[in-house]
Amino acid sequence: MSPARRRGHLRVGIVCPYSFDAPGGVQFHVRDLAEALQAAGHEVSVLAPSSDDTELPDVVTAAGRAVPVPYNGSVARLTFGPVTANRVRRWLEGGIDGRPFDIVHLHEPMVPSLSMLALWQATQPVVATFHTSQTRSRALQVAYPLVRQSLEKIAARIAVSEDARRTLVDHLGGDAVVIPNGVYADVFASSPRRPEWTGTPEAPTVAFLGRLDEPRKGLDVLVGAVPAILDRVPGARFLVAGRGNGAVAETRQRLGDRAASVEFLGGVSDADKAALLASADLYVAPQTGGESFGIVLVEAMSAGSVVVASDLGAFQRVLDDGAAGALFRNGDPADLAATVLDLLADPARRDAYRAHAARWVQRFDWSVVTEQVLAVYDMTLAADHAIGGDVVGRVMGLFPRRVRGDA
Amino acid sequence: MSWSETALVALVVLAVALVLAWRGASRLDRLHRKVAASRIALDAQLVRRASAAVELAASGALDPASAVLVADAAYAASDAGPVTSPAAALQMDGLGADRERAESGLTATLREVLGAPETADELLAGSSSEVVAALGDAWYRATLARRFHNEAVAQARRVRRLWYVRLLRLAGRAPMPRTVELDDVLPHALEPTAG
Repeated sequence: MSPARRRGHLRVGIVCPYSFDAPGGVQFHVRDLAEALQAAGHEVSVLAPSSDDTELPDVVTAAGRAVPVPYNGSVARLTFGPVTANRVRRWLEGGIDGRPFDIVHLHEPMVPSLSMLALWQATQPVVATFHTSQTRSRALQVAYPLVRQSLEKIAARIAVSEDARRTLVDHLGGDAVVIPNGVYADVFASSPRRPEWTGTPEAPTVAFLGRLDEPRKGLDVLVGAVPAILDRVPGARFLVAGRGNGAVAETRQRLGDRAASVEFLGGVSDADKAALLASADLYVAPQTGGESFGIVLVEAMSAGSVVVASDLGAFQRVLDDGAAGALFRNGDPADLAATVLDLLADPARRDAYRAHAARWVQRFDWSVVTEQVLAVYDMTLAADHAIGGDVVGRVMGLFPRRVRGDA
Repeated sequence: MSWSETALVALVVLAVALVLAWRGASRLDRLHRKVAASRIALDAQLVRRASAAVELAASGALDPASAVLVADAAYAASDAGPVTSPAAALQMDGLGADRERAESGLTATLREVLGAPETADELLAGSSSEVVAALGDAWYRATLARRFHNEAVAQARRVRRLWYVRLLRLAGRAPMPRTVELDDVLPHALEPTAG
């Protein structure tokens, strides 16, 4: 463990189990992490499933088409099978420009896709990040004895939130270091506002982001709160961004003549999302469960929106126990309406939340998060170098460790 | 059962035992080395932290009373245990109660001195910012290293409890690994930042 190694230049191989064809939280995390590591002067190669016609960032190596399979209650696009396993092996052996990886960083190694295959075959020091918080999966319980041994290869485990860590502890035992998801806080903080989304005292704007037809995202709860909010603030506008089959018509029907206050923006680009969060007075996160972190809340806080979120454990933590944003009773439209109305009537309280949030989100900025991830790499390599062929290795090593050349 | 059948059964049992022994032994060997190596890494970070604490105490950035207390706690930590040699790491016996107590003591003293966010921010902005940053750096890495070490210990212990590992005495004379238990909670203000 020398300082030179600490600040040294690393070749990092990152494996993402989910396809870049369908963007999601893990994919964004992987993409941003790769970018942040490169910005810090390291070489990165990402292996991810993807079809040939999807445009990929340069660092990403496509590992083949992802197949939609039902897994753990929803449909996931995963890549698996012997051909894929071979591709993973070649990627692992290939390194970057023929030079081997110093570290292989796997995301969600318990998802039956690329990461699991990479873990199974990796000879490099392995760091793994666990994103999900989920209830026990029976399939995983069955497969656990098969993967347990390869889990022992992981030198360092990272969980993206306290909830993800708890899931990991419950499922697999052992522990993990919590390093939050990163956000480019500046991008959101400096995003221009859009006049059509900016609220006025008479017509404040309330934003929602998320898949409309996914009940867990809680659009229902928001729609349930709309009439009560409109009773007191008739000018309020609700900006709903996200895709979803049939949800638009259903919501319009449910609200009847008040549907005009709800504007559906459909799927939005990254820039539009930032602008929406920067423009809206309030951002509502009525998710009812299944959230392990809540990255959008951090983005909203960075953009300067005041967050109103359901009191899920993950959201409480990401809002600094309610100091950086308001919390309402999960699944309770009446409480959501009351909270929104309180906030709309109290600009001083909104400012207080905004001020606290601006400081609080700094810890989620990629600059900070990357530093923490690099510290993990550092400790992983320190431990790896400590075993490499010294007395410990010789005394204990009935089966000597494969020595990797550096060039 | 004829003697040839008995011999066949015996051979099969022997073959199974051999396979189990081979796989169990290499798995256990890998885990023991992981334990020893992560212990060395942890030790190195704790030593770095203690020496950064001494430097901070000597830098003049702290008030005299705090400086004396920090230096005392840091020396207590570095006196309590020598730097781990590979042979010592093989003992896998944690860091020893004295060392753990001394390191926890250093943590408590440093937290008292640096715990308030204003103090830490002030120090990080002042002339001794590098020393404070180095302290935070080593401290954060020590917390990581301890988690990873304890994780390795837990895995090794789990394998040591397997019936065939015990039956075939695959662990040999290697001692049962023990976790390192100490207080290393880092004040928020010292968490890693860009730089």
